[in-house]
Amino acid sequence: MKENTKDHAALAGEFNKDEPRVDWHDKTLWWIREKRDKAAHGVPEWELLRETASGIKENVLSRLHEYLLQFEEQATRNGIKVHWAADAKEHNEIVLSILRQQKVNQMVKSKSMLTEECHLNEYLKEQGIEVVDTDLGERVVQLAGEPPSHIVLPCIHKKKEEIGEIFHQHLGTPAGNADPQFLTEAARQHLREKFLTRRVALTGVNFAVAETGEFVVCTNEGNADMGAHLADVHIACMGIEKLIPQRRHLGVFLRLLTRSATGQPITTYSSHFKKPRPRQEMHIVLVDNGRSVHLGRKDFRSSLKCIRCAACFNTCPVYRRSGGHSYHTAVAGPIGSILAPNLDMKKYADLPFASTLCGSCSNVCPVKIDIHEQLYKWRQVIVQAGNAPIAKKAAMQTMTWVLSNPAVYHTAGKAGRWFMANVPFAVNNSLNPWYKQRDMPEVPGKSFGEWYKKNKK
Amino acid sequence: MSSRDKILGAVKENQPDFRELPPLPDSPVGGTEQLSAKFVSVLEAIGGTAYIVSGFDRIASILREQHHDALRIVSGCPELAFLAETAAHYDDPHTLENIDLAVLRSHFGVAENGACWITEDCMIERALPFIAQHLALIIRKKDIVANMHEAYERIAAAEAAGTAYGFATFIAGPSKTADIEQSLVLGAHGPRSMTVFLLDEEMSDAGFY
Repeated sequence: MKENTKDHAALAGEFNKDEPRVDWHDKTLWWIREKRDKAAHGVPEWELLRETASGIKENVLSRLHEYLLQFEEQATRNGIKVHWAADAKEHNEIVLSILRQQKVNQMVKSKSMLTEECHLNEYLKEQGIEVVDTDLGERVVQLAGEPPSHIVLPCIHKKKEEIGEIFHQHLGTPAGNADPQFLTEAARQHLREKFLTRRVALTGVNFAVAETGEFVVCTNEGNADMGAHLADVHIACMGIEKLIPQRRHLGVFLRLLTRSATGQPITTYSSHFKKPRPRQEMHIVLVDNGRSVHLGRKDFRSSLKCIRCAACFNTCPVYRRSGGHSYHTAVAGPIGSILAPNLDMKKYADLPFASTLCGSCSNVCPVKIDIHEQLYKWRQVIVQAGNAPIAKKAAMQTMTWVLSNPAVYHTAGKAGRWFMANVPFAVNNSLNPWYKQRDMPEVPGKSFGEWYKKNKK
Repeated sequence: MSSRDKILGAVKENQPDFRELPPLPDSPVGGTEQLSAKFVSVLEAIGGTAYIVSGFDRIASILREQHHDALRIVSGCPELAFLAETAAHYDDPHTLENIDLAVLRSHFGVAENGACWITEDCMIERALPFIAQHLALIIRKKDIVANMHEAYERIAAAEAAGTAYGFATFIAGPSKTADIEQSLVLGAHGPRSMTVFLLDEEMSDAGFY
C-alpha cells in the first residue's frame, strides 16, 4: 500500500468525482442502516441491552489489568500460548516467528482489523510469506491491491462488474461475468484449495473471556473456522480491549453485534475457541499498540469500548458520501476518526473534522460511545496542539475577528449578500471548497437583523 | 522489561476508577410451542429450513429426499448408521473434504436468532460442520431457549454438570456472504444449506406422509 499524503477532504474529493457511484454507495449503506433499525426495533429491551453493554465495557476498562492477568492464566491453562506485543512491529514479528518455527511461507487469514492496523500483510510479504485473505470481501480488495474500505463490508465501494474483472484477471473466471452467485462460487472453489493446503491460519478475535480464557470469532462465511480447524497452527490476534469479564456477558454482546452491523439477528457462526484440538497449536497475541496510553485519556478512553460493528459508518452522512478510503486508516468512519488521532495526532489531524457532528453515530452505537462529542473534543486538542491545517487556522482567526466585531460582522454580511447576488462567480468557483458538489443558495434580500429592526413593532 | 510487564504496567497506571458490573437483563419465559414456532420462523428468515419430526425414520426419509444425490454422508447419530458413516473420529480433518452432508446432534436452539449450539463432542471433528456441503442438525423440540442470556445459562449449567468444551459454536443458517454489492449468496465457504430437525417424540407422524 502506498503511503498517502492527502487529507480526508482531498481523498473525498476524488471519490466524489463519480457522482452516480457516490449516490449508489450512499444508498447501499443507508439500506444497511435501515436493516439495523428494523433488527433493533425487534428487541423490546434494546436500549437496556445497550446500557448493559456499555456498563460491562466500562467495568472492563476499569479492571483491564486484572482481566488481562486472569485471561492469560486461564488461556495458558487451556493450552493456548499467550504472547504480548507492545506495538505493531512486535505483533508482526511474533506472527513471523511462529511461521518460521513451522517452516512455512504461506498462511490463510480471516478478517482482522488489528492486522490491518499493524500492516501485517505488507510486512509478511516483505519477508517472503504469502498471506491469503479468506473473507470474500477482503480477498477482493487484496487481489485489487487495496485496503478494505469498511470494517464489516470490506469491498462495499466496488461494483460487481469491477469484482468480475478482478476475478477474471486473477482467478480466470470468464470476462464480463459479474453475477454475484457465480463469483462467490468461484471464490469458494479458489479458497477451499487454500484452506486445505495451508498449515497456519490466523484469525481475529471478537471477544475474549477473562473468566474462561476462551475467545469468540464471528463470521457469516465460515472462513475463520475453515482456516482454524484445518490448520496445524491457529494464531488469534487481538487488541487488549477485546476482553470481557465472563462468558455470560457474551449473551449481551452477541445480541447487539450483528443486529447493529448488518441487521441480522446473529452471525451464521459464533465460534468459541477454548483449547487447541489434539496435535494443534493455538496462539493468542495480545496487542497494545497505543491502547494503554489511550486508556489514560479521560475524554477519549471510552472509544476503547468499541466492538467494531460499523453501525456508525453506515449511518454517517460523511462516510456514506466520502467512502472508506478517504479516511486513510484501517478503521474508517466516525469511530476510526476518534481512534486514529490517538495513534498519531499529526497524521490523522484531519479526521475529527470529517464529520458534521450530527450525532447519529452516537445514537446507533451499541456500546453507547459518545462518538460525536469525542470528535468535537479532538478538534480542540488538535488545534491547541498546533496541528490544524493552515488555511483552517487562518479562516478561524478571521472568523473570530468578524464575530467579535458587530460593525465588521454587519458589513461583511452585506458584502457577502451583494457578492452572491451580483457577482456569484466571485464565490462560486474552484477556490471555494464550500461550492464543491453544491449549488448556490438563494440570496436573501436582507439579513435577519435588518428584517427584525423593520418588523419588531 | 518485557512487553508483557510494560503493557500491564501502563494499563494499571492508566485504567480509570473501578466501575461496578451491571446486572444482566432478565430472561423472558415462553412455552415450548411458542418458542419452537419463533425458532422456526427466524431460522427460515435467515435461510435455514426446519422440520418438526417424530423420530429418526422421518429424519432419514426427509434427508433421502433432499439429498438423494449425496455420495458421502457422515453422522454423529448411531440411529442413522444405515445411511451414513458414523465413525467416532477421523485422524485427519482434510479427509472430510468431499463430504456432501453432515447430520449432527445439537444441544439447543435459540428462538430469537435461529442459532443452534453445538459443542465439539457432537461434531466428530471440529472441521465437519463447516466443511460439509450441507448440514443438518437435530435438536429436541423442548430444547429451544428464548434468547442468548438463557443460552449462556444452559451452557453454564452443562459445564457445572461436568461437560466442558474445547471448542463450540452457535450455527445460525447456511454459510453466507453479501460482500458483492450486498447480494445475498448462500454457501460462501461452509454448508450451502442448513436443515434443523426438531425432534418431538410425543408427536404422531400420521398425516405427514
